[in-house]
Amino acid sequence: MNRYQGPRKVSIFFWLALHCLGGGFAYAQSRQNEAVGAQTTGPDAAEVDAGMEATNEGSIEADAASSDDPLESVNRPVYNFNDTLDKAILEPIAKGYVEITPRLVRTGITNIYENAAYLNVILNDILQGKFEQAGADFTRFVFNTTLGLAGLVDIGTAVGLEKHEEDFGQTLAKWGSGEGAYLVIPLLGPNTVRDTPDYGTALVTNPLFYVSIANAILIPVAAVGIINKRANLLDATRLRDEAAVDPYTFTREAYRQRRAFLIYDGHPPAEHYDVDEFIEQEGTEDEEFDDILFIK
Amino acid sequence: MKALLKALLTTLLWVSLAPAICKAGPDDAADAVVTKLQSTLLDVMQHATALGYTGRYDQLAPVLTSSFDVPYISRLVLGKYWSTLDHEQKSEFIKTFVNYGIAAAASQFDGYNGETFRPVSKEQLESGRVVIRTELVKTDGEVISLDYLLSEKDGRWYILNVIANGVSDLSLKRAEYTAVIRDQGFDGLLAQLKQKTEEYKEPAAK
Repeated sequence: MNRYQGPRKVSIFFWLALHCLGGGFAYAQSRQNEAVGAQTTGPDAAEVDAGMEATNEGSIEADAASSDDPLESVNRPVYNFNDTLDKAILEPIAKGYVEITPRLVRTGITNIYENAAYLNVILNDILQGKFEQAGADFTRFVFNTTLGLAGLVDIGTAVGLEKHEEDFGQTLAKWGSGEGAYLVIPLLGPNTVRDTPDYGTALVTNPLFYVSIANAILIPVAAVGIINKRANLLDATRLRDEAAVDPYTFTREAYRQRRAFLIYDGHPPAEHYDVDEFIEQEGTEDEEFDDILFIK
Repeated sequence: MKALLKALLTTLLWVSLAPAICKAGPDDAADAVVTKLQSTLLDVMQHATALGYTGRYDQLAPVLTSSFDVPYISRLVLGKYWSTLDHEQKSEFIKTFVNYGIAAAASQFDGYNGETFRPVSKEQLESGRVVIRTELVKTDGEVISLDYLLSEKDGRWYILNVIANGVSDLSLKRAEYTAVIRDQGFDGLLAQLKQKTEEYKEPAAK
């Protein structure tokens, strides 16, 4: 019995890592992910958005405003551990992978993995009451799986069925759940308590998981997925490494804001961006600073 | 017939101009700030190689410093720590922060691949500030939403925040900077920003 349980546990762990590692690095400075973010505008997005704002705006506003991080003392060491591991192993492998594979191949691999993960999107469309979007997403999934050769070619986008990004964390938010504490999970990266149940729904809705576990190819399939996902995020992590003076905080805030953006389906209300809450104390507005010089 | 045609054309001209005339108002100054910024960025991207890092920095510096309300942004990003600084420290931060911002832009806008900006909408907020939504469109069809928060001061409009696909630059920096001051003190933050500025410069030297 032990002979079976051991490897399977490892396999599921690998699978989880595949699903979320990308999420781990997915702060919105991500150029790759930005594409996904910008495409989350279904035909009825405004309508759904309006409904959601009415029911749930409070909790999202609160999320974006909160910079509290009760688990910071635990999160920071885990973040550093993940980052060290990434810099030592995963990032170099991803760079090597980019060097030896043509862009077209990487796009095809990305398409296959994203298509396999798409039933989770459809499930969460339904759970959020986005039935029209669910229909379009289901058609998209069928097109890409059949005509698109198991997802290799993104036929859906070509015929105007745009890709959406939904997950169980977003569903919980729309159901009124608060964000919960920010959480950095070893190897998996940034999360909030509200986002963690999605690991479960993403796993059980992924056909690739069942196919590869049945054929004992889970580890290689997961490994390729992880490497490919990490490769897609190389630009994003480069931007972070260049810009961030505190990468931990940078990642945390970008992660939370990106999540809020996705919950709003890419259309946060303009008031969401105002800065009144940032104004701590009055009285220093009149101070003059005429001597802004630049030194090259 | 000719007169009729002329009358028709004149009417058409006025009809087509009417929305523009009606729309014209003080807020158009806000649009102009964003348009100027984006056209400068495009220009810098298109001539990135010829300009080099220093050329890009020189071209961006006056536009960035006149488009953004730098002292006010500085105050916002330092949060509760701003009021603990004396005037000299505040000035020092503003200078360092501005240099870092221009260096980051000069380093990041280092090439052109057919990107275009397009305006999307403009919304007035309860506070009187304005959000101008635009999009950056890449040649591969990727669209990045770029929203600008602007505020009026002494009859001029200034950008306070840029939000790229939902990620607010101001919130990010505020969270980072206040965390660095908490952990390493104000001087620690200054040193970090200066080091980052130097690092942005370096690729140009290679």
